[in-house]
Amino acid sequence: MAQARKRRLRLSAIIGTVPMMIVAIGVYVIGIAFTVFWSFTDSKLFPNSTLVGFKQYHRLWQDDRWLVAVQNIWIFGILLMVFALAFGFLLAVFMDQEIRQEDLLRSIYLYPFAMSLIVTGLVWQWMLDPNFGIEHTVRSLGWANFQFSPLVDPNTAIYGLVVAGIWQGSGVTMAILLAGLRGIDAEIWKAARIDGIPIWRVYIFIVIPMMRGSIGTAFVLIAVGVVRVYDLVVAMTGGGPGISTNMPAVYVIDMITKSYNVGQGMAAATIMLLPVIAVIALIGLGRIVSTRRKNAAILRAEATA
Amino acid sequence: MARSVTTRRKIVYTVLAWGVGLLIFFPILWTILTSFKTEADAIAAPPKFLFFHWTLENYAVVQERSDYMRHLWNSIVIAGGSTLLGTVVAVPAAWSMAFVPSRRTKDILMWMLSTKMLPAVGVLYPIYLMFIQLGLLDTRTGLVIVMMLINLPIIIWMLFTYFREIPGEILEAARMDGATLRAEILYVLTPMALPGIASTILLNVILAWNEAFWTLNLTAANAGPLTAFIASYSSPEGLFFAKLSAASVMAFAPILVLGWFSQKQLVRGLTFGAVK
Repeated sequence: MAQARKRRLRLSAIIGTVPMMIVAIGVYVIGIAFTVFWSFTDSKLFPNSTLVGFKQYHRLWQDDRWLVAVQNIWIFGILLMVFALAFGFLLAVFMDQEIRQEDLLRSIYLYPFAMSLIVTGLVWQWMLDPNFGIEHTVRSLGWANFQFSPLVDPNTAIYGLVVAGIWQGSGVTMAILLAGLRGIDAEIWKAARIDGIPIWRVYIFIVIPMMRGSIGTAFVLIAVGVVRVYDLVVAMTGGGPGISTNMPAVYVIDMITKSYNVGQGMAAATIMLLPVIAVIALIGLGRIVSTRRKNAAILRAEATA
Repeated sequence: MARSVTTRRKIVYTVLAWGVGLLIFFPILWTILTSFKTEADAIAAPPKFLFFHWTLENYAVVQERSDYMRHLWNSIVIAGGSTLLGTVVAVPAAWSMAFVPSRRTKDILMWMLSTKMLPAVGVLYPIYLMFIQLGLLDTRTGLVIVMMLINLPIIIWMLFTYFREIPGEILEAARMDGATLRAEILYVLTPMALPGIASTILLNVILAWNEAFWTLNLTAANAGPLTAFIASYSSPEGLFFAKLSAASVMAFAPILVLGWFSQKQLVRGLTFGAVK
């Protein structure tokens, strides 16, 4: 009787997960399979199945627009990661000092993250416009030589995107790191004070290592945002001036919609998928290995007993 | 609270933290203010902070020029519909993973979540072609489906973290008393997990509301939500900052208001359940 009930429960559990599995397999696995397949074909405006080997990849890595896009995503990603984590951490330390109206303030910090990147891009495009934005305002207040208009110059435009990205991401990083900070045992602070260790050293050598869980969460969240970055570029610079703020996702879309070169676009998309899939596979592999080890250890323990 | 702080330092930190808060909020505030200015006041030097001629004209012009109401309705249908549909699919899945876990549950969950980390361009073109075939391009139905698909892993993950906090014994007791599975989920689990479900729904509405990659590439004039509407103001509008601001405010105001009334859910939702 109990057995039958248990089996029925298991069955409903499986049925419960079926729609989710269909969705995940249907969309991601099949979608990605098609993308990878077309990247090896001669597809132009519409996909065809004339295989051409690695020709599209070869051409891809000779395209300046793609090379700029790849360089940009590294600059954008690394700077955003460093600054968002640094600002997020400093803000979290601030917030941990019995700030008044903390809940309210935390929401304000989070607002940029709750806004569409399209809006963020537009607002910052305007803030960084030399004729109307920050530069203009500061100059009209008296500092006539003040310069802050990165978007005008192809060499600095990418840093304009970084500024908007930091504005968007710092608050949410703060919220995650603050939760990590709050999770740390208060005894540690007491012990450190009794031992006379300066506060900054406690943070760097004890607190930060203990926060690796929440730092990891923030890291993943920012990294995911970086790989997918598209709307911010479209709204803020449209990839310009010239091709200076081109990004891989923008490149793929342009290849499909403007250059009618689906094959090469799919090759670029495949290249974008590769590192993410590799990381996911590595994590998966790590999990399998660690459970194997654990099982082996249990078996050995049983054998000796 | 990590360590005791003296009153004077507390005041200094509070002032500093609020200063930073103001700095972060400034671009939003400035956009809101500019939306009420005339075009001349919007570009005045030095900038006018509060003492300008307040006007609602920009809002009227934006509505008239690009039919804000239509885009707003599209956004509501797409965000609401995809959230509803996603929750219906996700509740049973999250229930089974939280309360009837198997050896594979953790792996399936990680795999589900990892799909969310893949760049969307990887699947855009196949879906685009499928949409043409099915006649779903530039329709609200199509976008509801896509939004549901891309946000489903997040919904399941969020619900799973909330469900896990509920003791399984309570559900077991209901089962022992003869409750059917449907009743168990509908009348026992759902009411207890309501705050969590609310956060999940809020997060998903915000994500779907803000989504631009798919909306820009799969819609045109007919089904375009607010993100498409605001993107159309991007470049050619160049010099009309007051109208641009009004359009921006009209796009983010619903989120700002929604977030204000549900701050706790907003924090937990936006951090994907990492912050309790």
